[in-house]
Amino acid sequence: MRLALIINRFDPQTDNQPYDREYTVDWEQHETVLDLLLKTRREDPSLAFRRSCRSSICGSCAMVIADRSRLACHTLVREVAGDGGSLTIKPLPGFRQLKDLVVEMDPFFDALKRVLPWVIIVPQHNGLVSPEDSERIEPPATCILCGVCDAEVRQSGSVTPAALVKTVRLAVDPRDALGTERMKITGLTEEGLQTFRELLASVCPKGIKLPPVTLE
Amino acid sequence: MIVHDMVIVGGGLTGLMAAVQAPPGADVAIISKVYPTRSHSGAAQGGFNAAIGEDDSVEDHLFDTVKGGDYLGDQDAIEVLCSEGPDVIRQLEQMGVPWSRTPDGRPAQRALGGAGFPRACYAADISGHVVLHTLYERALAAGVRIYPEWRLVELLVEDGALAGLLVYDLATGRLEVVRCRVALLATGGYGRIFRKTTNAHANTGDGTAIAYRAGAVLSDMEFVQFHPTTLYGTNILISEAARGEGGYLFNADGERFMARYAPQKMELAPRDVVSRSIFQEIKEGRGLGDGYVNLDLTHLGADKITRQLPQVNELALLYAAVDPTQTPIPIEPAQHYSMGGIRVNLDCETNIPGLLAAGETANVSVHGANRLGGNSLLETVVFGRRAGKHLVKAADRPSPPPRSSLELALARWQAIFCTGKPPQPGDDSTSAIRDAMSRTMTDKVGVFRTGEELREAVEEIAALRRRYRALRVPPGEHPFNYELIEHLELGCLLELSEVTAGAAYRRTESRGAHYRMDYPRRDDANWLHHTLVRRGGDGPVYEAGPVSITRFQPQKRGY
Repeated sequence: MRLALIINRFDPQTDNQPYDREYTVDWEQHETVLDLLLKTRREDPSLAFRRSCRSSICGSCAMVIADRSRLACHTLVREVAGDGGSLTIKPLPGFRQLKDLVVEMDPFFDALKRVLPWVIIVPQHNGLVSPEDSERIEPPATCILCGVCDAEVRQSGSVTPAALVKTVRLAVDPRDALGTERMKITGLTEEGLQTFRELLASVCPKGIKLPPVTLE
Repeated sequence: MIVHDMVIVGGGLTGLMAAVQAPPGADVAIISKVYPTRSHSGAAQGGFNAAIGEDDSVEDHLFDTVKGGDYLGDQDAIEVLCSEGPDVIRQLEQMGVPWSRTPDGRPAQRALGGAGFPRACYAADISGHVVLHTLYERALAAGVRIYPEWRLVELLVEDGALAGLLVYDLATGRLEVVRCRVALLATGGYGRIFRKTTNAHANTGDGTAIAYRAGAVLSDMEFVQFHPTTLYGTNILISEAARGEGGYLFNADGERFMARYAPQKMELAPRDVVSRSIFQEIKEGRGLGDGYVNLDLTHLGADKITRQLPQVNELALLYAAVDPTQTPIPIEPAQHYSMGGIRVNLDCETNIPGLLAAGETANVSVHGANRLGGNSLLETVVFGRRAGKHLVKAADRPSPPPRSSLELALARWQAIFCTGKPPQPGDDSTSAIRDAMSRTMTDKVGVFRTGEELREAVEEIAALRRRYRALRVPPGEHPFNYELIEHLELGCLLELSEVTAGAAYRRTESRGAHYRMDYPRRDDANWLHHTLVRRGGDGPVYEAGPVSITRFQPQKRGY
C-alpha cells in the first residue's frame, strides 16, 4: 500500500516559517508511523525527528499524527491512514518547534523539576511497602515522560500534566515524607483531579490510570 | 571550552548511578546523546538479581553466574557483583524504587534463566524503566549537571593519559572541548551492528568504539548474546520474565522442545542454550511459518499476564497483533546484549589513565561467555556505584593543564565538518552501508557460526569500511543534524563489527554464546582465556588475557 505522508518541516537556518512537505511511502499492515518516518529519512536524510527504542518505552517520538499527539512508534499506520491515502504529521503542540518534528524539551523537564520529583525518604524507613500501596504507585510510575499529556491536556491545576502524574506517583508512596501534602501545590479540587484523570487516560500512550489520592 | 571535575558519558542506569555517588557540591556532569530517561536501560524488563531471599545465598548466585558464563567470567569480579547485590538493592529501595512487593512488603523476586533461585527483584515487567526514572530523579535531586543530546566525538589522549573529550551539541550543531580530571564511559551496548536486534536505534557503541580508537583495550568481543524470545519480524523484546512466570516454548509439532536440550531447566535454561535450541528446531523442520516458534502464556491466565507482564501483553498486542491471553506469541532469537566491551579492572579503570568504563560498555568480566538474565541490570548499579566512588577518588588531584591537542583535535573535526558536502543522487549512502553491515553480521556472525562464514564476514566488513571512508561527511553546523550523527555512528558500528567478527573467527572453540559448528566443543586447554584486542596501524591486534578462577574450577556445563 502507498500513502502520501505530509510532514511539517522547519529548518531555523533556512526557513522563515514552517511548511508542509509531501512524501510518497509504501507501507505494510504491521508497520508503525515510526517505520514510515525511518523509511522517509532514508530518502531524505535531512528530515529531523527523535527516536530510539521503537517499543513505546523511551518516550522520544511524541508528535502529532492525524491531528492527535501520540508516539510514532506506538501508532500503527493502518489505524490512522485515512481513506484518502494521506497522513499528516506535525510537531507536538505547546512545544517550540526547533527543527522539523524536533521540539524543545527543556521547559518540559524544568517544569518537572519544580515539583521536587523524587522520593524524600521518611527517616529510618524500614523499606517495606505493602502490595496494595505498590499497586497504587505502579500506574503513575509507568510514565515515560513523552510529553503527550502536556501537549493535549490543559486542566492540570498549577502544575504541568506530566508533573502532576509525578506528584501523584510520589503522593501515594508511603516512603515519601511529604506524601499527600504534595497534592496541595497542584491547587486541584477532587472534581478537577477527576477531570484530569479521565483526560489523561484518553490521551496517554501508556494508558495511565491515576490511583485515588487524598487531597488535603 | 567546558570544564568539570568529573564527566560521565551516558545517562542510563550505570551513568546515573555513578553520578549520584558524588558528595554534595561535587562538580559532576553527564553528557548523553539522548535525554537520560530515553536511555535503553529503560527497556530492560525482567529484573535485578540479588541474593536477598532467605533460602538464597551469594555463593549460589556466584556459582550460577560462573557456570552461566561457561567459566570465562572473572570470578573476582563476579564475587563483587554478587556480594554487593543485596546492599545495592537496599540502597535502591531507599532511593524510592517502586518494586513489586511480597505480601510482607519486601521487593518481590522472580526466576530468570540459569538461576537456581527466584532471584530477580522486579517491578512488573518494567524493572529497568522504574529504576532508570528513580535514578534520574536522584540525579535531579543531587543537582547533577546534564548535557542532553550531546554526543561524544573523540577522546583525546596525551602522554598516554586522558586529556579531554570532544563532544557535539545536537541542538546547535557545534563542537565543544570538554576538560575534566577523570571521565567515565557508560554508553551501553552496540546491538545495532546486527540487523536483528532488540536494541534501540541509539545503541551504536559510540563509547566503546571511540575508546578503542583512543587506545583502550577491548575484550571478549566475540561473545554476543542472542535473546531467545523477540517478536518474530520486529525483534522487539519479550522479557525472559514471560518464561520466569511460567511460559512455555512450543515447536510446530506442539512439543515443549526444551525437554530435548535442557531437561532440568527447560525454558529457564540460560539464553545461549535456549536460542540455539530454537534455531535447531527450525533447522530440523519443526519451526512454524517462515521460521519461528511459539511462546505460550495462555495457561497463565489473563489476570497473571496483565498483572505481572503488562508490557509483554501490550507489546504483543500492538506489534504482533496477538493477544497473549488467548494465543501463543510467535518469537525468534535476536541480538540482545554485548558481553564484550572495554577491558576494565574492579575499580572500572581502563588501560588509559583518567578513563573509566562501566556497564555494558565495559568488560569487567562478570558475564563471561554468556550473561544470565537479571545480571546486567545488577551490573549497571553495582559497577555504576563502584565507578562513581572511584571517580570521586580519582578526581582528587589537580586538573591537568590545558593541552594543545584539544584545540588541534577541535580544528581537525571542524575542518572535516565544514568541508562536508551534501551527497548527490546515486552516491553511496550511510543507510546502504549500514544495511549491508547489519545483514552480514546477522547472517554470518549469529548464533551458529563457521570459520568460513566468519572469514567472509571479516572481508565484507573490511570492504564496507573502505566504502565508508569514501563517503562524503555531511555538512556540520546544523541544528539536529541527524544525518551527521548517523554518519558518525556508522563509523563506530563498523569498527565494532570488525572486531566482533575478527575475534569470533579467531576463537576455534564453542563456549557460551559463541558457538562454532566447526569446533563444537569447549576447549579449556587452548581457549580458557579472554580475547584482548587493541587497534593497531594495520587493524586489530589480538592477544590472550588470563581469566580469574578463584573458587570454581571449570566443569561440564549442562542444564
